[in-house]
Amino acid sequence: MKADLEVRLVHDGINWIAYHQSFEAFGETLLELDQELTRCLLDRQLFPENSHVTVFMVFDYNCIPTWIRQYASHYFNRYIRLDLKSPISAAQ
Amino acid sequence: MNRKWYSGMARTEDWWAVWLGLTMFLASVSSLWGLDLTGWMAKPNTWVWGEFSLEGVLKPSGKLGWHPTLSWLVTYLVFTTLTCVAAWAMKFDLKRFLAGWTVLFVMTWIIWIIGQEAHFKVSVNEFAKFGLSWGLSLGGGFSYLLALLIGLIIGNFFKGTAGFLSEAAKPEWFIKTAIVFLGIKIGVMSIEAAGFITELVMTGVAATFVAYMLFWPIVYALGRRVFRLSRDASAVLASGISICGVSAAIATAGAIRARPVIPVVVSILVVIFAMFELIILPGFYTAIAPNQPIVNGSALGLTVKTDGADAAAGAMLDELMRANAEANLGVRWKEGWILMASLTTKIWIDMFIGVWAFVLALVWVYKVERQPGQSKIGLMEIWHRFPKFVLGYLLVWFSYIAIASSGPEIAKTLHEAATPVEGSMRTMMFMLTFLSIGVITDFSKLRGMGKLALLYAIALFGIIAPIAYGVAWIFHRGMMPPTL
Repeated sequence: MKADLEVRLVHDGINWIAYHQSFEAFGETLLELDQELTRCLLDRQLFPENSHVTVFMVFDYNCIPTWIRQYASHYFNRYIRLDLKSPISAAQ
Repeated sequence: MNRKWYSGMARTEDWWAVWLGLTMFLASVSSLWGLDLTGWMAKPNTWVWGEFSLEGVLKPSGKLGWHPTLSWLVTYLVFTTLTCVAAWAMKFDLKRFLAGWTVLFVMTWIIWIIGQEAHFKVSVNEFAKFGLSWGLSLGGGFSYLLALLIGLIIGNFFKGTAGFLSEAAKPEWFIKTAIVFLGIKIGVMSIEAAGFITELVMTGVAATFVAYMLFWPIVYALGRRVFRLSRDASAVLASGISICGVSAAIATAGAIRARPVIPVVVSILVVIFAMFELIILPGFYTAIAPNQPIVNGSALGLTVKTDGADAAAGAMLDELMRANAEANLGVRWKEGWILMASLTTKIWIDMFIGVWAFVLALVWVYKVERQPGQSKIGLMEIWHRFPKFVLGYLLVWFSYIAIASSGPEIAKTLHEAATPVEGSMRTMMFMLTFLSIGVITDFSKLRGMGKLALLYAIALFGIIAPIAYGVAWIFHRGMMPPTL
């Protein structure tokens, strides 16, 4: 699957956090994170407004205690498709 | 981070089990070109109290002219080098690993040698040979029990030492390596008794079906309806208890995008309860059904969670049942077949965890969270969750059959060179597993987990163990290992 953007995904115990060299997005749930990510992308104008962006979120396994790694070494990666509508055009 | 299909090949224990297993298999294959790259492996001998000598209790597997001390030192150097290279690649703290590994290695050998003392080990039929008037007749099981006991004492009463050893105490890595070594043994068994192995493998499919389609929904419903757990917690717990322990809990939690704290808590429970299973079930099954070796082995594979605990319990059952059968049933079963019944069932269950997690991920996205179209589930997730050591096991298994089938001389040469790998090396990795599984088990972590621990205990001993035994009985009753 081809992505337009790759971010590193971590969980700090409270929030999901998506790290990118130009921004950090936070959300208590993944749905909130996706909304925050959309806002970040719009704010920084990394992609044109009203476009669709596929984001690849790669989970950073360092969030999982090291003793668990011998049992399992993958949590999840996720692809999401964001609709970059500005708040104004979304309201219209 | 797993970005690509090859991510993790140099930095996970799962892949390093494959590399270590293949290294030793290739070392034994080199015998076909006249090399002897496995004969240095040391192995302990049965000895009698009062007659202890280094030459009597230790000997090299192949290099007959070697002094036992040299053989043991080479064994230490080879395994230390290999594991340290792996530890370096996995970015462990190398100094701590080396120190911890050395302590574990030395302790393992001391315990292994103690366990070979005739009063603990030999069967009643051999009392006269060793001049004994009494004995426990536990076979190799005593070494395993002693390693587990000492590990548990360290893990629960000497927590500073356990912390120091934790960098090297990797039972799951050790057992996965041992399972790749076991690929040789199942290769030998497949040549000896192809029908038996085929039946064992095919019934493993049925067992897998039971684990996924029967255990999981029952435990999930119990968690939701009786214990009022959240969907996420119930799903993760159901996978941990009913499928394959920690790896299933992590895979399920990842599939349903649960907060990481949920599978971490469930994993702690899995590891501690696996210890109860390991302590209780081999002796219990031996007592209640001493004449159903393969049923008991398969029931263990369905019940005991985590590969380490399952293989350890299978090895213990193998020793206890063979010793009991020799003493009370007058029959000598070949070593390893009961263990193989346990492992085959478990490996089947392990292999499908990626597919199961993929299905769960789809259910969660489309039915539970109802976000179709926005979030996509990549097929690569199945690969990332596939247990890679199984690839090593299968590769060694089929390669052994292919090579050994090419001629009797080749088969004989390969068998002689591979015997130390599937024999002493594999048993040493099992011993390291028993010791380190005890070291990392801290029963005090159960504190504060009342509700979850209660659910786990009810589901495991009240639902899964009895159903698993029934299923194993249906598929395997009457199957017997070959006799000596």
